[in-house]
Amino acid sequence: MTPLQTFHLAHLPPDLAIHVALYTDVQNAPILRDQLLQGNPDFEYALIEASVILSTTHVLAAVFRAANDHLYARLKSRNVHSEIVFSLGANNNIAQSLRTFGITSTTTNLLVIKLSTDPGITALTVSEHLSTSIQGTQVDFNDATLTNMADIAKVRKLYKLGGVEEDGSKGKRRRKDGTEEGSGLIDGASIKDSERVRKELEVAILGLMALKGVV
Amino acid sequence: MNHPPDPPQDPLPPPFTHNQPTPTLLTQGAEALLYRTHFLTPSHPCALKYRPSKPYRHPILDKRLTRHRILSEARTLVKCRREGVSVPGVLALDAEGDGASGGWMMMEWIEGRTVREVLIEGAKRRKDDRDEGVGEEWEEGMRLMMGKIGRVVGRMHEVGVCHGDLTTSNMMLRPLDKVQQNGEATNGEHVRRFGEILQGDIVLIDFGLAGQSLQDEDKAVDLYVLERAFGSTHPEAEEGFQEVLRIYGDSYKGAKVVLKRLEEVRMRGRKRSMLG
Amino acid sequence: MGAPLQSVAVAARTLALLWGKELVGVNHCVGHIEMGREITGAENPVVLYVSGGNTQVIAYASQRYRIFGEALDIAVGNCLDRFARTLRISNEPAPGYNIEQMAKLGRCLVDLPYAVKGMDCSFSGILASVDILAEKLEAGEREGAGKGWRDEGSGQLVTREDLCFSLQETVFAMLVEITERAMAHVGSRQVLIVGGVGSNERLQEMMGIMARDRGGSVFATDERFCIDNGIMIAHAGLLAYRTGEVTRLEDSTCTQRFRTDEVFVKWRD
Repeated sequence: MTPLQTFHLAHLPPDLAIHVALYTDVQNAPILRDQLLQGNPDFEYALIEASVILSTTHVLAAVFRAANDHLYARLKSRNVHSEIVFSLGANNNIAQSLRTFGITSTTTNLLVIKLSTDPGITALTVSEHLSTSIQGTQVDFNDATLTNMADIAKVRKLYKLGGVEEDGSKGKRRRKDGTEEGSGLIDGASIKDSERVRKELEVAILGLMALKGVV
Repeated sequence: MNHPPDPPQDPLPPPFTHNQPTPTLLTQGAEALLYRTHFLTPSHPCALKYRPSKPYRHPILDKRLTRHRILSEARTLVKCRREGVSVPGVLALDAEGDGASGGWMMMEWIEGRTVREVLIEGAKRRKDDRDEGVGEEWEEGMRLMMGKIGRVVGRMHEVGVCHGDLTTSNMMLRPLDKVQQNGEATNGEHVRRFGEILQGDIVLIDFGLAGQSLQDEDKAVDLYVLERAFGSTHPEAEEGFQEVLRIYGDSYKGAKVVLKRLEEVRMRGRKRSMLG
Repeated sequence: MGAPLQSVAVAARTLALLWGKELVGVNHCVGHIEMGREITGAENPVVLYVSGGNTQVIAYASQRYRIFGEALDIAVGNCLDRFARTLRISNEPAPGYNIEQMAKLGRCLVDLPYAVKGMDCSFSGILASVDILAEKLEAGEREGAGKGWRDEGSGQLVTREDLCFSLQETVFAMLVEITERAMAHVGSRQVLIVGGVGSNERLQEMMGIMARDRGGSVFATDERFCIDNGIMIAHAGLLAYRTGEVTRLEDSTCTQRFRTDEVFVKWRD
């Protein structure tokens, strides 16, 4: 079994551990979601639909923001874990973010995050609880796995980063050098390097998360 | 801008007190301090721009201004990047700050050197070197670089952003992966390799004074500031600057009108006679 | 300002011819600066020249007083005067003085347009907002006891004193900001405030806080020399005269378009 992965992020207190587990083939999403919605204190986790996560940086950036706001008592949502899910969104609509990025009843790829906000929460207690609660196959939390799980088209739509395929080239004016307006790297169909497109998407998403609706 | 460093006014704001090593101070302006640190993990370097609160201002006004400026700069950067203008990405920010401290923004770290540094060093090396081969390599590299500058500024103006402080210190030359930076070798080779630096990407930085405007006047003033920067700091490259304007003029519809406006701005002169 | 300047010019020329003395033309702002340096002993400060007709941030470089920043539309003193007029604040002894006194009784900070653009600032936005605010205030007063314009934050009724307070806090913050930018640019730690508006204690206080935070200090000339006076002209004239500067009779006109940076400051190196 893949062990729980624990992170410490730069600029957060050194004792704030971040435990992450990634699952595929999850069978009991509806039950998990129920427990979460009922506010069962044993189930205070960030339960994230993995197909809308682009990369480890994408989700850790949300963790950073939520943890920072938690430390300075500025949470907008119920707790730091719901705040992580909220921080993934590009606006201030909490309910919408939770619906969009949070676990749904049809979720099969699930990202679970737990912050050690008190000493009683350790990697051991977390992995024990998860092993009995999540019915699924744990896999490594890394960029390769997330890339396989990611639904890029859905991500683009969520963040309104529609590429050329989405907007179509109708209505796009051409500049003198032949390129189209609105030709950010992520729009350019001419860009063959999907790695670069992915990087640009990530940059755009981090920016939107940072601005959080102030556009 | 080179000036004697002032005593560090403010300690780092939270959460940047929680780290070893502490962020490295790069520059200190009137409005903001710039640090180098990392985002999330040590393998992800970033720039941290901190706008401390100003005690002389009424606290409500201070918070309002700090918040507005952080968000405005971030918004401008995000817009530029989204539209294909080469600028640092915004990674995270906190416009409110915590209590009395100001706000901050973390941005993508741009590797490389400023165009200002490269031009100054280039001029120095050419003066020291008598090798003929050097001249052509450098000239060609310069021409291409100027073209890139013209293109990136043109794109920025096209999407309705004016930089507000367009000088060669606010442009980075980011090396292409294969280019080496140290350029240490013998005979003419070292300058040729240094010349390869010119092949890097141009990245515009420091949008602290930037605004969103489609006015020809604002765009012309942007160009004028850059022109004056070239004139005063890089007189040997002044001719190359014409290439910037030429490529700029071809880069978008309406660019030529801005160039015309630039002529007027030149004649008026900026009210200040001191720039760069 | 045209007529008084013309009269002075005529008188000066007459005296020069009468007594066979040479004439030395002096830039008004340079007069303020040199007087300020003399009185305060500040060696090489960044100068904020603020009066009814001028708002400039000036620093000395290579024999010129160079303008680093200025008000792009109207001078700050002018802005204060018109603000007072719109709010029906008395002109006696001076509108700026009355604003200052009333501001001391103000508590609530009303949101006013803040306009700093690079090294410059502008006051027309604030002035435009005053008309609206004055109307809002007076409409509130007409509504009678208890009703009227209340501040969102504190719930208190907004008064004229609050508006004066808000105006000062805003425009003075703008002036301090552009002064600080100039200081950062040239690497200076001293500030000298000259011109009539320089006698405002709140402006001096704010500038002082900023200068201290930069490890420097602010110098403000006292009232006798802040406001336009003859001795500053005489002093600057003497400095120039000692370096051999004289003005020919045919060149001795008065002009309001005499920019500070046109003067060749030969007496400094």
